[in-house]
Amino acid sequence: MASILSLEHLKKYFESQKAVDDISLSIEEGQIFGLLGPNGAGKTTLIRMITGIFYPDQGNIIFQGKSFDPIRDVRYIGYMPEERGLYKKMKVGEQALYLAQLKGLSKQEAKEKIGGWFERFGMESWWNKKVEDLSKGMGQKLQFVTTVLHQPRLIILDEPFSGLDPVNSNLIKDEIYRLAAEGATIIFSTHRMEQVEEICDHIALVNRGKKILDGTVRAVKDQFKENLFLVETEAPASLPQETLPFSVVDRTDSKLFIQLKEGQTRNQALQFLLDNQVSILSFKEILPSLNDIFIKLVEGTPVSRSFETKKASL
Amino acid sequence: MNKTWIIIKREYLTRVKKKTFIISTLLLPVLYVGLIFGMGFIAENSRETLSIAVIDSSGYFSAPVLEKQNQLDNSSILTLVENVEAAEQNQKAAGYDGYLVIPALDWRKGLDSLSLNTFKSYGSATTAAVQAKIDRIWGQVVNDSLQIDSDKLLVLSQSRLQLKAKNIVDEKSDSDTAEGIGYVAGLLMYFILLVYGSQVMMGVMEEKTNRIAEVIVSSVRPFQMMLGKIIGIGAVALTQFLLWIAFILVAYNVAKEAGTQMGAAEMVGNMQRLFTQVNVPLILGCFGFYFLAGFFFYASLYGAVGSAVNEDIREAQSLSFPITMLVILSIAMMTATIANPSGPIAVWGSFLPFSSPIVMMARIPYGVPGTVPWWQLIVSMLILILSFIAMVWLAGKIYRTGILLYGKKVTWGEMLKWIVRKN
Repeated sequence: MASILSLEHLKKYFESQKAVDDISLSIEEGQIFGLLGPNGAGKTTLIRMITGIFYPDQGNIIFQGKSFDPIRDVRYIGYMPEERGLYKKMKVGEQALYLAQLKGLSKQEAKEKIGGWFERFGMESWWNKKVEDLSKGMGQKLQFVTTVLHQPRLIILDEPFSGLDPVNSNLIKDEIYRLAAEGATIIFSTHRMEQVEEICDHIALVNRGKKILDGTVRAVKDQFKENLFLVETEAPASLPQETLPFSVVDRTDSKLFIQLKEGQTRNQALQFLLDNQVSILSFKEILPSLNDIFIKLVEGTPVSRSFETKKASL
Repeated sequence: MNKTWIIIKREYLTRVKKKTFIISTLLLPVLYVGLIFGMGFIAENSRETLSIAVIDSSGYFSAPVLEKQNQLDNSSILTLVENVEAAEQNQKAAGYDGYLVIPALDWRKGLDSLSLNTFKSYGSATTAAVQAKIDRIWGQVVNDSLQIDSDKLLVLSQSRLQLKAKNIVDEKSDSDTAEGIGYVAGLLMYFILLVYGSQVMMGVMEEKTNRIAEVIVSSVRPFQMMLGKIIGIGAVALTQFLLWIAFILVAYNVAKEAGTQMGAAEMVGNMQRLFTQVNVPLILGCFGFYFLAGFFFYASLYGAVGSAVNEDIREAQSLSFPITMLVILSIAMMTATIANPSGPIAVWGSFLPFSSPIVMMARIPYGVPGTVPWWQLIVSMLILILSFIAMVWLAGKIYRTGILLYGKKVTWGEMLKWIVRKN
C-alpha cells in the first residue's frame, strides 16, 4: 500500500527542550496508527507539525506523495486535539457549518454532509441548540463530527476517548473502524495502552522527542517477548531439580510459569514435561503487554514518571 | 483570504445579532441625552431659596429697596430686621436661613468681605442668588451716586469692544466650537479604543478558554484567525458608530420638521451653526480614518495580550494595564492639546502612533490647514498606517505562540521574546 504520510528527520526545538528530535515515520493509507508516548514526549508537537500548526525546524513532511503544504493540504486532514472545545454560545448547526467552511467546504456541501452525520448519530434535533446546553458526551460527539465532516484522508485523534462514557466510546470506536475501512488513515495518539492494543494495526513509541519503537503490534510484542510460557497441569507437577531446559519463574498447584533457556525450543520443553509424566492441560505463550514494553523502555527517563502515574490512575 | 472572510463574517454576525448590541446601540444615545438633561435638572433642583435677614447700618438697604428686589427676583428673599438678636430669635418663626450685617459703607469703595452668616452650610450655587441680589442693589446705589440714569446705564452695559480669536487661514474654525468638538471627538475615540479593544481581548481569551483555538488553527493560519477577529469587531464598532450618526441625522430632520417647539428649534439652529463653523465632512472623514487605524493599532495589542493569558481575568487586567495607560496618557495629551492646539505636545502627540488617533482628532476641528498643516495630517496618517501594520504583524507573532500555550503565566518580557523567536 502507498504511504500517505512520511516524516523524514523531523526536528522541532524549543528554547527549553528538544520537543521533536529527528523523528522519521511512514504511515500507510488505511492504517490505524497508534502514536504513543508519555506526557511531554513530543507527541503533540509532532502532530502540530503534521497539521501545519508548527513548521518543522528541519526535515520534510511528505503528504500524499507531495511535499506537505499546510494551506493546500488542511482540506485533507481532520484533527481533533487533546485540548478541544467549541464556541459555547454558538448553535450546534452553525458551529458545524462554520468549522466545515473553514476547512474549505462550500456552504451547500457542508450542509449536506452535516445532515448525513447528524442523522447517523441521531443528532437531527440538535441543530438549533446551543453548544453550552449539550452534555459533555454530546459535545464530544459533535466534536468528532466536526473533525471528520470534510471527509479527510488523514484523521488525527489526540486522546479521542478522554471524557467519554463507554457507550459513546464504542460509538466513536466503531466510526474509527468504519472510516478506516472506507480508506481513511487514522493517527491515534494516546497513552492508554489497552485501547491501542485493541484498535491499532501499527504503533510508534515516542519518548523525549525521539522515536524508540515502530512496527505492527504483533511484531513489537514478538520483539519483546521473553520466551515465557504458562503450563496448566492436572496435578502439581513434580520436576527434577537439575538439568531443566527452562527456568521456573513462578508456580501454583496447577500452573507453571516457565522461561525457556537460550537455544531451547517449545517442543523440547514440552518433551521434557511429557518425559517427566506431567499431565498437561494447556501450554500457552505469554506475550508482554504494550504497557509492560513501554514501561520497560521509558523507565528511568525523567519524563517516564508522569507516564507511570498516569498508568496507576487508569 | 477567503477563510479570513469567513472568520470576519462570524465575528461580525454573532456580535451584531446579540441583544446586547442592539440594546447598547439604542440605549447609549438615550442615556447620554438623559444624563445631560438629568444633570441640569438635578443642579436646578438642588438649589435652595435662602431667606436672609438684613441688619443695615449703611442706610442703603431700606425695606422698600429690598421689597422691590424681592419682587423682581425670588430666588432669594431679603428681609430687613432691627438687630442680630431679632434675626436669631425669629429664626424659626420667620424661617431665616441666615443674616447679613451691613456696616456703614462708602459707596466709592464698597466692601471686600461682607460675611453672610448662615445657620447651616450652603453651596456656592445657593449663595450665588444672594450675591446676585446684593450686586443689583449695590449697582443701583453706585449708579445713583454717580448720577447715571437708565439711558447712560444702557450705553455702559452695551457699548463694548469684544475680542474674538479668529484663524485667518481657515475661515471656518471657531475656537469655542472647535474646542467642544475636539473634546467630544477625542473622548469618543478613547471610548471606542478601550471598549472595542478589550472586546478583542475578551474574544481571544474566550477562544483559548473554550479550547477551540487549536481546532481552528488546524484549519487556518493563526494570523488569519487574529486578523479576522480584529476586522470583524472593528466592523461592529463601525456599524454602531454609523447607526449613531444616522440617529443624529434623523433626529435633526425630525426636529427641523417640528421646528415650532422651542428646544427643537434651538437644536436645529445649533446644528446649522456647527456646519458653518467647522468643516464637518473633513472631521467625519478623519474620524473614520483615525478610528479604524487606531482601532487596528490597539486591537492587535489587546489581541496579543488575550492570546497570552489563561482563564484568569486578573492576569488579563495586569497584562493589559500598560496598553490602557497609553490610552489614558493620550487623553492627558489631548487636554494639553485643546489648551494649545499648535503647541509641541499637540504636534508630537499627533505624530506618535499610540496617541495620534485621540490627539489629532482633538486638533482637526480647529481647522486644516489653519491649525493642522496638511503635511502634519499626512505624516500623522502615514505613521499610524505603518505602525498599525507593524503592530498587527508583531501581535500575530505573539498570538501564534500564545494561543496554544496553557497553564503558564506570561510576562511582557516573554511576549517580546516570542516576537524575535522563529516559528
